[in-house]
Amino acid sequence: MDIIVLTKRVPVTQEEELKVAPDGRSVDLSRVPFRMNDWDNYAVEEAVRLCEKQGGVITGVSIGDMESDEVLRRAIAMGAKDGCLIESQTVVHDPFTRALLLKGFIEKENIPFNMIFGGVQAEDDQFGVTCGILAAMLGLPFASMVIGIDDIQKDTVILRRELEGGIQERISIKTPCVLSIQSGINEPRYVSIMGIRKASKVERRYFKAEKYLDGGAGSLIDVTRWFYPPKKEGAVILQGELDDACKQLIGILKEKGVLQ
Amino acid sequence: MQEQAASRVLVCIQCGKCTGGCPESGRTPFNIRMLVRKRQFKYAIEEALPWYCTACNACTLRCPRDVKPSEIIIEIRSSMVEEGNIPVTIQKALESTFVQKNPWGKPRSKRGDWAEKLGFKVPHISETEHKRLLFSCCIHAYDPRCMVIPVNVATLLNKAGYEFGILGEEECCCGNEIRRIGEVGLFEELMEENIANFKEYGVQEIIALSPHCMNTMKNEYGDMGIKVVHYTEVLSDLIKEGALKTEKPLESGIIYHDPCFLGKQNKVFEPPREILKSLKNVNVHEFVRSRDISLCCEGGGGRMFFDVEVPYQRNGEIRVTDAQKAGADTIATACPFCLMNLEDPAKEKGIFVKDISEILMEVI
Repeated sequence: MDIIVLTKRVPVTQEEELKVAPDGRSVDLSRVPFRMNDWDNYAVEEAVRLCEKQGGVITGVSIGDMESDEVLRRAIAMGAKDGCLIESQTVVHDPFTRALLLKGFIEKENIPFNMIFGGVQAEDDQFGVTCGILAAMLGLPFASMVIGIDDIQKDTVILRRELEGGIQERISIKTPCVLSIQSGINEPRYVSIMGIRKASKVERRYFKAEKYLDGGAGSLIDVTRWFYPPKKEGAVILQGELDDACKQLIGILKEKGVLQ
Repeated sequence: MQEQAASRVLVCIQCGKCTGGCPESGRTPFNIRMLVRKRQFKYAIEEALPWYCTACNACTLRCPRDVKPSEIIIEIRSSMVEEGNIPVTIQKALESTFVQKNPWGKPRSKRGDWAEKLGFKVPHISETEHKRLLFSCCIHAYDPRCMVIPVNVATLLNKAGYEFGILGEEECCCGNEIRRIGEVGLFEELMEENIANFKEYGVQEIIALSPHCMNTMKNEYGDMGIKVVHYTEVLSDLIKEGALKTEKPLESGIIYHDPCFLGKQNKVFEPPREILKSLKNVNVHEFVRSRDISLCCEGGGGRMFFDVEVPYQRNGEIRVTDAQKAGADTIATACPFCLMNLEDPAKEKGIFVKDISEILMEVI
């Protein structure tokens, strides 16, 4: 069971106060650390667990600049055999273009696979459609939001998907196929720095992105402007000492009928 | 740097002195003597057990054969780390330290924000004459309860006319707990980054706010040619010299809790006591278990990030009860982990826990 796992290097923005560049076309990420997209971490772990049981080879694939090599090193440290970087000097926001690059790369470089795993979505742009578009481009079956892989048969995989309202769905899907893996499907292992150092010695392969666009469409979606949502009005900041502020608050709550 | 394979497991005679001094053995499933035995015979070790150790070092200090049981714990944890098989909470702390250089995953860009609470500007270390670096612990930089400590110490040093500087967001975790968790590679990365900064800015002296940072930079960073001290050592000297005056009386009975990494591991017993004894109208008490045999608060060695699986009476609670029996209304300490672990039980019993710097701020 050979598996390609899509991995993306994303900024860790949860606790950061992001600043939009003056021209409104980008966000200043110069002081923000990066890591492997959380969903992709689960996807790599799931692939490693499957291959540990069933045998097979995992190939980590990433699109980005040379800095993205770090997520390939991590994937290798977790258990991938190989890492391939589709090197692009510009940030590829458009999931269609990302899928086009991946399709071109997988086909032209003859990367062997029975399944392609990716995270449900990326933490940065949150489109959540790259895996689906890739499956369509490759003409393969696709399952999203996979929360469990229960059985692998000769040319079929039995898996569970997460639906709205807490319902789960068990499906069988023909291989080869593309799956988007939901976080929580497993508990990804810890990758030590020693492990990453060892993985650095495994040769990664680098490919130029231009090779795989086939002169076809560039980005169909482009970022025109980043901006903060307008501040809403209506909030009242209570002034004065704590006791006064509490009295004011109680008065307001009574006035609004919240407190009897 | 100390060798990781520093333990001498095969010379252990199973005398039990380690277990006798261990703050966890006999009260939790952890038993240091049993783990050493298992290590001797290469028996399997239950996954959760090594994570109970608080790295207080009592076992290593008491061992008559220099087995260094606390280093054996690090070796066991290290194997688990390399296998990727560690408790999730510990894993999160390590991953956060890798990404943000602090175990809480708070933005590195905000590491120096505490300095904004001061009424004066603290210079970057590069702008100072004497190249004395005030080094904050991650918990000081990000925890709202502990953030007051760097503010206090900076205020006290400034009042005494003692020049110092900071690194701000260039500072990263010292790695003391990371090494004890067994993540050797990450510890080395943190150490290398800190040392590179110290060299770049020509640091001559490090004033560590946490005994944990002081310990690793003093004993495990190798010979940096830099003097490393705890802030209580500096403040104690400034009080003796008259540069810092503790004039206001404080009607209080204070008992001093020795942090393991300051006291038993680095023998800094007197400076915090001298500071307390310099205060007017203060009765200074002593725990029965103090100095070398001080009872650990259970905050070290990664225990701040490990959810114990069994209920038991925590040392913090015992410590608070002992403080009350000794007649104290306040427990003073000089370590942020001790402060955090003692404060919850102390609130329940109605006594105060204060960092030495907080007490000093009340009397200057």
